[in-house]
Amino acid sequence: MGEVQKGLFSVIEKLKGTTEQELRIVLLGLDNAGKTTLLKQLASEDVNTITPTQGFNIKSVTCDSMKLNVWDIGGQRKIRPFWKKYLANTDLLIYVIDSADKKRFEETGLELSDLTDEENLRGVPLLIFANKQDLATASPASEIAEGLNLHTYRDREWQIQACSAVSGEGVQDGMNWISNNIVNKKK
Amino acid sequence: MAEDSEWVPESVAGFLGSPDWLIPLADFMENHCSVFDDEDENKLSYTEVHQQYKHLVERLLENYMQEVGISEQQFLRACSSFTGSKDLQAVFQPVLATDDFPMFRSLMVQKNMELQLQALHVIKERNGGLPECLTDGVDVMNELEQQEMKILQEVLQRSKQEYDLEMMALGRQEREDQASTSSSLSDAPLGNSCETHTAGDSGTRQTNTTNGSVTEAAELKIKPAQSAASGQAEALPAVRPPLSAEHTSPERPRDDCRPLADEEALQQRSEYLKQQRDKLQARKRDQTPKSPADTPPAAPEPKASAQEMSEEKKRLQKRKHLAEKLREEVIRK
Repeated sequence: MGEVQKGLFSVIEKLKGTTEQELRIVLLGLDNAGKTTLLKQLASEDVNTITPTQGFNIKSVTCDSMKLNVWDIGGQRKIRPFWKKYLANTDLLIYVIDSADKKRFEETGLELSDLTDEENLRGVPLLIFANKQDLATASPASEIAEGLNLHTYRDREWQIQACSAVSGEGVQDGMNWISNNIVNKKK
Repeated sequence: MAEDSEWVPESVAGFLGSPDWLIPLADFMENHCSVFDDEDENKLSYTEVHQQYKHLVERLLENYMQEVGISEQQFLRACSSFTGSKDLQAVFQPVLATDDFPMFRSLMVQKNMELQLQALHVIKERNGGLPECLTDGVDVMNELEQQEMKILQEVLQRSKQEYDLEMMALGRQEREDQASTSSSLSDAPLGNSCETHTAGDSGTRQTNTTNGSVTEAAELKIKPAQSAASGQAEALPAVRPPLSAEHTSPERPRDDCRPLADEEALQQRSEYLKQQRDKLQARKRDQTPKSPADTPPAAPEPKASAQEMSEEKKRLQKRKHLAEKLREEVIRK
């Protein structure tokens, strides 16, 4: 069965007639972290009319002639058990943290470590966005990195990027990291 | 391997166009498409359906390959050979959809819309039209509101005309004779005010009873009339509902044709209003047969039978409601 799928996938790419490669990116994080805002910012869409995600959103972004299919899945507690259904064949995990929500740093850390233990995400590069830096109460990215013990992650490439999804600040820096470390390595 | 190119692609293409493939897929889509709407956000259940779809396609393809006796490699090679042809690409779309969620989603949304349109078509054919709940609610509301506004404007206009007339008449009457019709006046409004009084109840409460008079026109007019000529009970004859002329005019010695003209206008107006009202009601009731009340009898019969009176009451209530609205309108102005 798996064989057929993989085989089909290569055929499908040929059938589509596209020369560009595709990357599957999963965008996760607690509820209200700013995942959908980030997704819309990436797709250059309006970020002012966003409501809590009950299901999931998909956007395709082109980066260095590679098509990035970004899957943003709702982060509410009751939805989180569904995350693992979306992890297969993932090329990059983007994890979004509300830098001003100190009360839930522990919770978000636990969710992240659960994710990195997932079989489907083994070795998958990790980009963390320390979001909401526009808020005065936001913790700096370095502090969050320390709290998450990111320096202990040896099994994958990782990066933490301060950003404000609402203003777009720092988002492009994260994309540049993706471009340099994942897209160009895949080519 | 040379013989592969002879028959395998043809067989694969044949299978992808055969009922063995198309019918199970169509069944699946019809059974599962109902949750797929065209909202921007995807529901979690879409993923579940997509998984089931993948399994179905895999099973169908495996069965086919086993039956025909070709290997996966042969199958894939055949698929690759389709890349050139647009037609075959379309045939291949259901296979592509297994790995392309957006494509799968759009197929399902499309199927859902098709089914909805079909259903609407069937309903139309059966009933000769769509029930109102299936037409665009907003549009219907707008239409109704527009209709209502039209009526209100019409009524306001007429009311103003009548008010002007009345004021003119008032001036004339004041000049002519001050207390001529007070007794006859009391009859008509009383008869019409179905709330508490019966005709001839009292001859001393002209202003009160006219206030109680229920036709929207009367209510409307009383306001300006009262404020303009407060305390002048005799200034209110124009308020009298239609048909009261029958009773009052003989008693009236004057040759004044004004009340008659007024009554006629009132009658016209109430008839018109009732018609509009009934039309609205009929629309709301959605194609149910029109009520007998639809045939517009001349405005309220003051001396109607008891049975008619109850019917009258209902109608008057409707008008009262309209009058409320009108009053708001007037006050706002």
